[in-house]
Amino acid sequence: MNSDYINIALADDDEDDRLFFTEAFEELKIKSKVLLFKDGIELMEYLNDFNNSLPSLLFLDLNMPKKSGLECLKDIKATKRLCDMAIAIYSTSASEEDIENTFVKGANIYIKKPNDFEKLKKVLSEVVTTNWQYHTSGLNKDNFLLRL
Amino acid sequence: MPTSSSRYLRTAFIVGLFVILCIGGFTYKHISELSQTSKVVNDNYSLRSELEIIISNLKDAEIGHRGFLLTHDSLFLNPYEESLQKVTNNLHKLDTLIVSNGEQVEKLKVLKSDIEKRFNNFDRSFSLANDDTILTQDLLFLLHEGEIRMDRIRADITEMLDLEQRLLIHNQEVNEKKIGLTPLFFYGLLIVTLVILLLAYFKMSKDLKALKDNNIELEIFEKLTKQSEIVSNTSTWVWYIEENEFEFSDNLYRLVGEEPQSFEPTLENFYEYVHEEDINNLGQQVNMMMREEELPFTNFRVVHKDGTIRHLKAYSKMMDETEGDKKMFGVTIDATNEVENYRIIEQRNQELERTNKELSAFNYVASHDLQEPLRKIQTFMSRLETKEKDHISESGQLYIQRMKSASARMRMLIEDLLQYSRTNTSEKEYLKTNMNMLLEHAKTELLDSIEEKQATIICDDLPTMDVISFQIQQLFINLISNSLKYSKEGVPPIIEITHQEVFSKDVEEIKESLYKFHHKITFKDNGIGFEQTYAEKIFLLFNRLHGKSEYSGTGIGLAICKKIVENHKGVIMAEARPNVGASFIIYLPFLK
Repeated sequence: MNSDYINIALADDDEDDRLFFTEAFEELKIKSKVLLFKDGIELMEYLNDFNNSLPSLLFLDLNMPKKSGLECLKDIKATKRLCDMAIAIYSTSASEEDIENTFVKGANIYIKKPNDFEKLKKVLSEVVTTNWQYHTSGLNKDNFLLRL
Repeated sequence: MPTSSSRYLRTAFIVGLFVILCIGGFTYKHISELSQTSKVVNDNYSLRSELEIIISNLKDAEIGHRGFLLTHDSLFLNPYEESLQKVTNNLHKLDTLIVSNGEQVEKLKVLKSDIEKRFNNFDRSFSLANDDTILTQDLLFLLHEGEIRMDRIRADITEMLDLEQRLLIHNQEVNEKKIGLTPLFFYGLLIVTLVILLLAYFKMSKDLKALKDNNIELEIFEKLTKQSEIVSNTSTWVWYIEENEFEFSDNLYRLVGEEPQSFEPTLENFYEYVHEEDINNLGQQVNMMMREEELPFTNFRVVHKDGTIRHLKAYSKMMDETEGDKKMFGVTIDATNEVENYRIIEQRNQELERTNKELSAFNYVASHDLQEPLRKIQTFMSRLETKEKDHISESGQLYIQRMKSASARMRMLIEDLLQYSRTNTSEKEYLKTNMNMLLEHAKTELLDSIEEKQATIICDDLPTMDVISFQIQQLFINLISNSLKYSKEGVPPIIEITHQEVFSKDVEEIKESLYKFHHKITFKDNGIGFEQTYAEKIFLLFNRLHGKSEYSGTGIGLAICKKIVENHKGVIMAEARPNVGASFIIYLPFLK
């Protein structure tokens, strides 16, 4: 695997969102490799396969068929090999309940899907360029939800 | 009333008894005084007769003495000796009679010595005249002396008699004085007793009449109670604790489906009718009642002979009986309707709760899920706007702008609806919160538009209240942003927030409130205002006074305000004049 590329994964059942996501990365000109998963089961199968290299950043939609983002988050944090992976929640809603739950379960940041493509690009570049090792130490509930 | 009259009777009786005892005591005392007086008079008379007897005896002795001197015949000595003896006896009697009177005793002593001297004189003349019949000179002298002695004795006796007479008169006077008042006193006492008796009689007859009236009332009351027991499906019973006996009212028999007084009023007989599932519980309660002497509200079912099941409710309390036996008075009610109504209400409540939950879930899901496609439309439009800009004609770009503003509006609507549903469903936790802090938060939230409009917010010091803080913050945000939105063009908005504590009774809108005091918070602005006729309409959901193109707005903001204030059991009102400004007045009760 070429180390110049950042390995990024997105699990989202929505085809349009996956399209916006890849297009945004294309336009951002960040050297990245985007892996796409249609649901939680597919994601977990990939992650649990020892042959696959792990993404450095995982964007996780919460509302997915078969296996929800929250369940995936729980499983990932319970698996030793995966638990250090940075996880960004990427969801339509930003209800207090969802934010609270994902924060407690160990997600690194919560992104509310923007309704403007330019904003999306801005958000994604910000998240990708953040040093997660450093950011995690100063993480609290107030800066958990990404505000632009 | 009965206790006071019985106390009165008791007092009258005691006073009467006392008076009679007094009369008895006085009578006894006076009679004994009277008998004392008559004894004194008797003594007096016997003393007088004794004294007179002494004189006559002395005269007898003198006659005997003279006879002897003349005849020297010893025959005359016998009467003399007898007289001597008699006088000695007389003097003894006098001794006992006048022992109590000092003056008289002195006089008796004088008399005694005079009598002794007289007899001495007799003896001496006897010895001189022993055998000589001629009267010698000495004898003559003795006779003379005897005469003088006799006179002295007579004088002594007269003195004693006089003294006795005086004593007698004095005694009589004292007695008369004493006894003279007695009849008057007795008469007075009798009158008093009679008056007391009369009063007691009147009181008693009055009480008796009252008692009779009470009896009639009681009879009516009893009949009414029986009627009302039947009508209201209640019954009463008494438990005489000392005898462990029960008394059931007629209707208690009816409540278990039987004819009045058709079985012995005992617990065992009553248990026959109790539903077998409830009999244990009721038994426990009754046992507890026997120990604690109180029966709390106890529900149980009874089964009539025809199989009907009724729900009964019993309650009993110990009456504080100061006199007489201890009793417990109980009430048993047919609560079947109550229980059934309660069940229906419970059922409806559950249904209502369920539909409410469904509704809010629907509301939430609808507004939440609506956001998803909208977001995509907006994102795609932004893609069109940037990526495909070169391929779209000018009018096409105008259409895109229109679509953008329409979808932005739709987004706003959905977000407000979400907010509205959140005000409905969120947990209602009232916490002591500083309202100034909430207002500061609201101002921070609106900082951009406040600066943009160059608005001034003047604010009183607000109190600390028990509120759902995020809701009140939302309320402040909505009201301030409302004022900012409907400001006059070219005039910087001034929003005045004032606070006052008001007495609920003084304010028309809240005088029916259960709470005594309210906080009155007023938001007053200098904006475009509105006609007062719309003051109530503006709080309705989706109600707008202005065209969408003039002022952006969803018509939900003020509806949310109303909802929030209602959640806090308060009232919100609006007062406004076109082109002058609007005031929003919130009354929030002092919860506690």
